[in-house]
Amino acid sequence: MRNQIYILGKLMEIVIIFFVIMTVLFFLFRLSPGDPVSKVVDPMLTPEDTQYLIEQMGLDKPIWEQYMVYLKNCSTGNLGVSFHYGEPVFKIIKERLGWTILLFTSSTVLAALVGVFLGKISAWNKGSRLDNILSISALVCYTLFIPWFALLLLWIFGFKIGIFPLGGILSPELWVTNSSWFARGLDILHHMILPLITLFIINLGSYLLLMRSSMLGVLREDYIITARAKGLSEKVIRNKHAAKNAALPVVTSVGLSLAFSINGGALTEQIFTWPGIGRELIFAVSNNDYPLAQACFLLIALVVLLANFIVDMLYAYLDPRITH
Amino acid sequence: MPIWIRGLPIDVRGRTKGVFMLKNHYVQRFLQSWKIFIENPLGKTGVIILFVFMVMALASFVVPHINPMYDPMIGIDPNISISTGPSLTHWLGTDNVGRDLFAQLLEGAKVAFIVGLSSAFFSIVLGMVIGMISGYAGGTLDTFLMRTADIIMVLPSLVILLILSSLFGQFNIWIIVFIIAIMRWPAVSRVIRSQTLSLKHRPFIEASKVAGASHLRIIFRHIMPNVLPLAFLYMTFRVTSAILVEAALSFLGFGDPSQVSWGMMLQWVWKSGNMFHAPYWLLPPGISISLLTLAFYLLGRAMDEVLDPRLRKEGRA
Amino acid sequence: MALISIKNLSIGYQTKGGLLKAVDNISFEIEQGRPLGLVGESGCGKTTIGMTLMGLLPDNARILSGSIDFQNHDLTQLGEDQWRKIRGKDIAMIFQAAMNALNPVMRVDEQVIEAIVTHKPGISPGDLDKRVKELFDLVEIPRIRMKDYPHEYSGGMKQRVIIAMALACNPQLIIADEPTTALDVIVQDQILQEIRSLQMIMDTGLIFISHDIAVVASVCRDICVMYGGQIVEMGTREEVFGTPCHPYTKTLLGSYLSLNNEWKVIIPTMRKAPDLTLKSGCCRFAVNCKICSNAGTSGIPSWINISKTHRALCCSEGIIRKKK
Repeated sequence: MRNQIYILGKLMEIVIIFFVIMTVLFFLFRLSPGDPVSKVVDPMLTPEDTQYLIEQMGLDKPIWEQYMVYLKNCSTGNLGVSFHYGEPVFKIIKERLGWTILLFTSSTVLAALVGVFLGKISAWNKGSRLDNILSISALVCYTLFIPWFALLLLWIFGFKIGIFPLGGILSPELWVTNSSWFARGLDILHHMILPLITLFIINLGSYLLLMRSSMLGVLREDYIITARAKGLSEKVIRNKHAAKNAALPVVTSVGLSLAFSINGGALTEQIFTWPGIGRELIFAVSNNDYPLAQACFLLIALVVLLANFIVDMLYAYLDPRITH
Repeated sequence: MPIWIRGLPIDVRGRTKGVFMLKNHYVQRFLQSWKIFIENPLGKTGVIILFVFMVMALASFVVPHINPMYDPMIGIDPNISISTGPSLTHWLGTDNVGRDLFAQLLEGAKVAFIVGLSSAFFSIVLGMVIGMISGYAGGTLDTFLMRTADIIMVLPSLVILLILSSLFGQFNIWIIVFIIAIMRWPAVSRVIRSQTLSLKHRPFIEASKVAGASHLRIIFRHIMPNVLPLAFLYMTFRVTSAILVEAALSFLGFGDPSQVSWGMMLQWVWKSGNMFHAPYWLLPPGISISLLTLAFYLLGRAMDEVLDPRLRKEGRA
Repeated sequence: MALISIKNLSIGYQTKGGLLKAVDNISFEIEQGRPLGLVGESGCGKTTIGMTLMGLLPDNARILSGSIDFQNHDLTQLGEDQWRKIRGKDIAMIFQAAMNALNPVMRVDEQVIEAIVTHKPGISPGDLDKRVKELFDLVEIPRIRMKDYPHEYSGGMKQRVIIAMALACNPQLIIADEPTTALDVIVQDQILQEIRSLQMIMDTGLIFISHDIAVVASVCRDICVMYGGQIVEMGTREEVFGTPCHPYTKTLLGSYLSLNNEWKVIIPTMRKAPDLTLKSGCCRFAVNCKICSNAGTSGIPSWINISKTHRALCCSEGIIRKKK
């Protein structure tokens, strides 16, 4: 019962925060200079279509009614029509979302797992040569400038050595021919490796450093001495007692660093022309396609909030002090 | 009895007795801390790298006066119309319209310092004031401020900057600095708030309350000196993130078009299609961003060790 | 025959300021079923002795000389693997529960089970279950609370679990390091009773470390008073507390407020902390000692036997005997 209340509370939180974000965006939109109609309705459309869209978005009504209509449209996914594509933006971002989630989740999970593992080893052998090498490389990863690193990978592996494609998700010939699912999957993986490495390396550094310092803190705790006093082997102490406790703050930080990773994700998508939400947002902003930009932004906000929710649940599951 | 705050002894008697003792105490404390700081290999490396970049930033004021063609933005070498590699006149080569890359790199250092330091300063001031008020006031105000902080904290700053520039058009550098600062105060204010909460019920605060000091006086006179070291520590980390966000924004082409920054240089090499042919153009800006970020990070870590003696490598007595 | 006998033990900590001798030339013996108390102020080396007997000295600590005989082994010569077999099985430690000695993310019974399984890997699930229940009954924790997490326990209950953990493998020697320090007086009394009766039932050896003379007096039959890494006086409880000889013991006892006659002795002021870098064999108490400052003694103390069991370490034999 208490668990359900906890989950429900967290979900309510998300709804409220999302509502606040939508509201702020609406008023920022009204505050911005220029005619609101020309911002959300493509000037190339026929007068009839324009009139239809204006009515649908309530742009001819007073501001409070407009706000209500806006909230209703947002919650039903009716976010307007993209200038560039001439299609409802909802349809466009729906296609992009999968690609973003694929790249983003795989790189975050991979980086967290490897980072936690290496951070554990590094802290356990504090002061050794291995520790020094690991922490210094983590520091370098952590301070790398994402787009530059991505360009460098592209230059080295895509251009100089030429073993990976320069961008996209699928080779053109596979679009045309009747290729098997397996071949397509393999090709996607081939295209995914460079962006994946970029995001992986960037995230790895922070997870490693965090796990290391968290683990060093835990190793000073008294229950580690208790575990030693029981005569447990060092491996059991490290993996069962120390690492499990040390990973808790890392889980929290996954939530907090999501914002950082999303930034990196957008940049990576842009450079490797990965057709995700982040790239679409950048594209929309550079082409003054506000309906599309707004939809991408709201979707990213929602994804961040949901990811935070998942992290909260994971934390509650791992730390008995939250739910028990 | 000194109170220990993150390993720094703060003399309660000295604090209530008068400013004179306090100042003396600060000088002494600063000298002690500086010694530990500079003995720390992390701190030393950070300071050295930072010094090099500072010299570069200062040099950016001089270079255009040597020869107008070294102006990072409008100076064009008349003899060059495509991107060329390093030479005697152009140490790092030129970009595709004949502008000197080394001059641009120097200018970038200046912009990075301006963006990083000012944005970090704003966010620290904001975070500190909000954190102190939130912790000191408590109640509804505290809840409201901290919930706001939570919301801002989970939002990706680059994405926010993008949607804002799609609404308001391209920003100039100071507005970018300010938006980054607004995006970055929550983490600071959370830490300052918890510090304030623990200070709130210390005897010297209670004593000045009894003596009739106003809330503002207590916050700025008694609480602020105690949270300042922590705020400075966080400032170094904020500098890093501000530099990175500005660079990313410029790289995507939404930076201040009148400023040459390292992110901008990377955008030019990428967009002009010279990326695969001009490593002399691609490498320096990226290395500079990473090194400067590293320097501030190392500085922060070293400061952390000064402030928190538990992290210092020392045997147990 | 003594259960464990410590001869001329010296332990040093390597620090930036040089070698600190935390324990200087200490000898004592423990008989089975005869609890021994180590009393002294913080930093006098009592915990260091406890940790040495568990083989859990920190990395920068070193045994400089001396021997510890336990079951025909010299514990100072053991390697890590051999230690692991002894820890928790033959020698167990009761930690202070307030110091976070239980792992927060593990169920309480798991932590007790771990202590058993480590030393009896082949134990059948039935026997294990029986043994765990037996232990929880022994320390009077209701069985329904066995599956709880540590944060759901009160301070007294946590302390009981820690005792149960120490008793898990029927050790021959138990080291109790300030087990009641952070508990309130009533719980403290219950725990002391618990330790006393369990010690009696199981007839083990017990070293009780505390700064609290009253607590030590209620549990132990033999007392060693420590100061600055040296044992300055040892004897039975009645001898040490009834007729204290060493000036430090008198100070320690005098600092106890009693209800009927306020301060029993005039307490000499303690001006300086003991200098742990002093050469071995010098009196660490001399800087604060009235006798030394008045009579100008050599500063090299020797053991003065007052009775068969009672002796004190002092520079001035005459004064000690006369005062008696």
